[in-house]
Amino acid sequence: MVFLFIALPLVVAGILPLVGKVSKKFLPDLLANAVFIVLLVLVFFEGRGIAGQEAAVRELSWLGEPLNIRLLLDGFSLFMLFAVALVGFAISLFSIDYMDHYGSKANFYALFLVMIAGMNGLLLVTDLFQIYVFLEVAAVASYALVAFGLGHDELEASFKYLMLSAVASAFLLAGIVLIFGVTGALDFESVSQGLAALDSRFLVGLCAAFFILGFGLKAALVPFHAWLPDAHPSAPAPISAALSGLLIKVSGVYALTRVFLNVFGLTPALSTVLMYLGIISMVVAALLALGQTDIKRMLAYSSISQVGYIVLGIGLGTPLGILGGLFHLFNHALAKSLLFLNSGSLQMATGTRKLDEMGGLGKRMPVTSVTTLVGSLSIAGVPPLNGFWSKLIIIVALIQAGRWAFALIAVLASVLTLWYYLLIQRKAFFGKLNEKWASVREAPFWMTVSTVLLALLCIATGIFFAGTVNSWVRPAADAVVKGLQTALGSLGF
Amino acid sequence: MIIEIALLCGLVVFSAAAIIFRDLLRSAICLAVASLLLGIIFFRMKAPYIGAFEISVVAGLITVLFIVTIALTKTGGDVRESKAAAWIFPLFFVVFLVLDFFVMRGLIGKIPALGAAPEEGGFGDVLWKARTFDLVGQIGVIFAGVLAVLALFRKRDKDE
Amino acid sequence: MTAPMLLLPILLPVAIALVVLLIPSRVKAVREVISVLASIVLLYFAWSFFTIKDLTWKVGWLGNGVDFDLRLYHFSAFILLGLAGFLFLIALYSTVKMKNVPRVREYYAYVFLTAAFANGAVLSNNFVPLIFFWEGLLLTLYGLITIGGKKDSNRTAVKSFILGGFCDFSMILGVAILWKITGTLTLSEISVKPEGLAAASFILMVVGAIGKAGAMPFHTWIPDAAIDAPVTVMAFIPAALEKLLGIYFLARITLDFFVLEKNSTLAIVLMTIGAATIVLAVFMALIQKDFKRLLSYHAVSQVGYMILGIGTAVPIGIAGGIFHMINHAMYKCGLFLSSGSVEHRCGTTELKKLGGLRQEMPLTAFGFAVCALAISGVWPLNGFVSKEMVFHGAVETGYIIFAVAAWVGAILTFASFLKAGHSVFLGPRGRDVPAVKESESPVFIPILTLAGLCILFGVYNKLPLKEFIEPILEGHVEAGEHLDFSAHALAVFNPIALISVGCLVIALLLHLYGWKKAGRKAYLASEPVHKFPVLKQIYDLAEKRIFDIYEQGIRFLKGLSGILFKLVDRPIDAFYEKGVTAVGRAFTGVLRAAHTGHYANYLAWSIGGLLAVAGIISLLLK
Repeated sequence: MVFLFIALPLVVAGILPLVGKVSKKFLPDLLANAVFIVLLVLVFFEGRGIAGQEAAVRELSWLGEPLNIRLLLDGFSLFMLFAVALVGFAISLFSIDYMDHYGSKANFYALFLVMIAGMNGLLLVTDLFQIYVFLEVAAVASYALVAFGLGHDELEASFKYLMLSAVASAFLLAGIVLIFGVTGALDFESVSQGLAALDSRFLVGLCAAFFILGFGLKAALVPFHAWLPDAHPSAPAPISAALSGLLIKVSGVYALTRVFLNVFGLTPALSTVLMYLGIISMVVAALLALGQTDIKRMLAYSSISQVGYIVLGIGLGTPLGILGGLFHLFNHALAKSLLFLNSGSLQMATGTRKLDEMGGLGKRMPVTSVTTLVGSLSIAGVPPLNGFWSKLIIIVALIQAGRWAFALIAVLASVLTLWYYLLIQRKAFFGKLNEKWASVREAPFWMTVSTVLLALLCIATGIFFAGTVNSWVRPAADAVVKGLQTALGSLGF
Repeated sequence: MIIEIALLCGLVVFSAAAIIFRDLLRSAICLAVASLLLGIIFFRMKAPYIGAFEISVVAGLITVLFIVTIALTKTGGDVRESKAAAWIFPLFFVVFLVLDFFVMRGLIGKIPALGAAPEEGGFGDVLWKARTFDLVGQIGVIFAGVLAVLALFRKRDKDE
Repeated sequence: MTAPMLLLPILLPVAIALVVLLIPSRVKAVREVISVLASIVLLYFAWSFFTIKDLTWKVGWLGNGVDFDLRLYHFSAFILLGLAGFLFLIALYSTVKMKNVPRVREYYAYVFLTAAFANGAVLSNNFVPLIFFWEGLLLTLYGLITIGGKKDSNRTAVKSFILGGFCDFSMILGVAILWKITGTLTLSEISVKPEGLAAASFILMVVGAIGKAGAMPFHTWIPDAAIDAPVTVMAFIPAALEKLLGIYFLARITLDFFVLEKNSTLAIVLMTIGAATIVLAVFMALIQKDFKRLLSYHAVSQVGYMILGIGTAVPIGIAGGIFHMINHAMYKCGLFLSSGSVEHRCGTTELKKLGGLRQEMPLTAFGFAVCALAISGVWPLNGFVSKEMVFHGAVETGYIIFAVAAWVGAILTFASFLKAGHSVFLGPRGRDVPAVKESESPVFIPILTLAGLCILFGVYNKLPLKEFIEPILEGHVEAGEHLDFSAHALAVFNPIALISVGCLVIALLLHLYGWKKAGRKAYLASEPVHKFPVLKQIYDLAEKRIFDIYEQGIRFLKGLSGILFKLVDRPIDAFYEKGVTAVGRAFTGVLRAAHTGHYANYLAWSIGGLLAVAGIISLLLK
């Protein structure tokens, strides 16, 4: 059943081009969205199944013969699967209207589903090399999706993204190979034990550095971030949302966490490195966001900054820090996707992404204005929205661990974040209506539905954050912490 | 030993050359040569399957694809770059090599010998039985590639 | 009745608010029917909760002692019943009075949200949800005031928000200190002596409570709101809801959280605040020329009685204060509703223009009369009973001055209501107002209901005293002291009661004097007091809003910011402009310039990053 997470999107992706020949818009829309609904149902089903239990490694079998496919479903992967299904659903709803004028909708949905399949696969694997494989699946799909619009900027951005990712993949593979050579195994448990048995601190350190480059680039941590501000704005808005909201987290943060916290163990050295990377990303990206005039670029830099928060929380290593980091991951996925989708609405309505050319759109596009406000306030960390709680937890965790400087910087970065988001709100929505936009209309139906859904989720997660934290995030954090404790203490650094 | 070092140095030199050359055809050829050298290294390490794959795919298939593409397309005008760009990469590369040398020298004594993993079954067993899940991933990558080509080379409709 | 049903008074109004918001404006009847029915359902539930009187529901929320804890006990059940009752009356009244108001959907939504938050605040047994609900009330109040749609409605709404926010902030601070002292956030577990740090917490929380109740000096938004907000909002919130919540909280502070002792410093402070509020507010009320503004100042003044009563820390005083709370809620709501009825038919509430409406609007007049007599403390209505209890308590503390202040207040209260009633309902028929009829039944039924309750709670005071008030005081009195207040509640022939009656007579004489002097114009009957030597200057200053702490605060802040601007801000700004922003911009500029889009650069950074990370790890390894 768990295998459906990977198989279903893949299979539907396979048949979509054929379906696309028959029905250009309706059937692809229907199929793609149906897949996400099924995925969401599956998440809840599986969630109830493993509630309270230990992590389950499922071994699949085909016709009685055991296939060597092992899938690991623990609180962490379930949590991420939930995020992927939820945000993916919103994105595919949005695409119903948005991708109309790009053409070849069936192919778009097919690529998107392949990306989702790759992400889901990454979330369920038990093996280092499989992480690499599924990372590549999602990445290749995303290269094509970034370039989907076929304009000059898009192609260039996609190419740069591809080339930088290729470097990252190369180093990832190098690291995996080194570990394989030393321990003779690739699956998490064997590797963890093997590394513990060996006294190979330097080698592990080297591999850790390689992994940080690899996963860090995927997660867009500074200084490995530079592809993101070009790739995310150029992509069609739903893909920007998918990249910022999901891909950098799944192939970047999730993979990083899995490997470092469940396989290597988070040693003080690694913790320090991750925390510094996190805090540097937070600040540098926030400063960069301030200087932007293109709304999507600003949002892209903001993603980098928020990933810094997440990595800071996870890098801290304390249960509360991990809880905060994971919760912020979820919240950011919701809110950033919402913001990128809205930027798509804006772009569709006005034809521009430049903030200075917009103005006063709140009167003509009230729903977009309100949902953007919700998303902005959520990321900026304004109570009672969800981002406030996750940031608060991270800051409290930092204070509890005695890292006062980090906590202070995190708070200041929050202020910076609020600043540039209010800039967006002011320039785009408030103020006098620019003459040019006197006749724009609110975004079409499915786009509005999708963004309103995300905005409501932001609000609900904020108000009922205790429930969300307890049912979804805490099991995830516990799974990570447990893995941390199993792996830790044995590596000598 | 000498042969190993020569092959490896050649690999590095030709890979760097593939990037530095401005002429696309020369780059493609350098890539083919580098791949050939890598294939030979694999054979010498007693990994015939990999050697064969490497040579046939990279030095063979991919080089052919590149050369055909280069022949069928016109190179656009050379992008004017600042002078700095021309030597930054070589500089960085040299710096990296130097640092790498020192790092490796420090590490050499400390890395436990990479043990030879016991051979469990032949190539086919490993591919189909032990790494079945990877095949699912491979299917995914193939889908992604095919769909990417379909998407990126689609005919633009009138309403775009 | 299972424990999770305690969520009903909170969740049901929220659901109704959403439903009402979504029903299209055209289908008015549906919305009104739903509102009234929902309020009846809530009233039913409040009643059944009251009969059970003991239910708790607790759910861990945030850890660290922050739980979502609801507790139904006699006091909270009593308040819940009161809240539900007022909601019903207001919902009924609004069906007519708010019929054609723009944004009426929002109005109903805010009303129900207010009810939800108020219920939540009353039921909370843990400070965090209580604060959450308490704050929510600020937002709904803001929204409700802006529905008035008058020129200054926004400004008054902001004023109420800021004053309320300030008081709430003070309360939060007090709660935080209390948490530090006791280590728990659960209301039912706290009981400390108010000394030292605890005293500071006490005062902060008291500020929060009396601010919510609308005592001086946090009251200044109420008279403004009387003009700028719809009259139903006035009847619902400042008249009823806020008193119930504020005094409930004040009672909890002085009875449960802190053990307030008779004649301790803190008690005297409370009594002073109470007495001052009574006197100062009623002086302002007397000279008002608008019916609604007059009523609003009285709302402020009456809170003084409640605070005074609770501050006496004497059982009869405390009981009187709490009883006064519910009595006031009833008659003040009734008074506002009757002013709304007049406004509904006549289109104005200026005393100058009204007059002689008793024949055309007899039911409104009757309701008004009963409530006015109740607020003035005329025997045998409920106001008499609760006021006497407060007087007795004040005298018992030994500080007669407070009782004297309360009596002065009583004089002026009655005088101002004589003026109001005379101006509106008696006397010659005002010519500025066309011929009118009595208001429709959804308007006068609530008024008469409240009037009837005033009579009931007065004459049959055993009912409210035994059911509602006495259980609250159990456990707070020494053993042996009996808690039966109703026995002598209506006793007139004791010195205190006689002085009260004397006050009423003085008020009557004052009114008649002023009326005659002003040429038999009732609305000018208060002029003698207005023009009285020292008072005149004070009144003039009050007109200029010298005593409005909000206005003064704003003025002070403006002045302060002017000084700061010249002395401090400009220099800092120069430094900032030349220094920080330049540096910041330079950083941003450098960073921006660095992102050339050049692939090789990006690759170089990545590899450089790799080298740095590897280097750092190896350094840390050693």
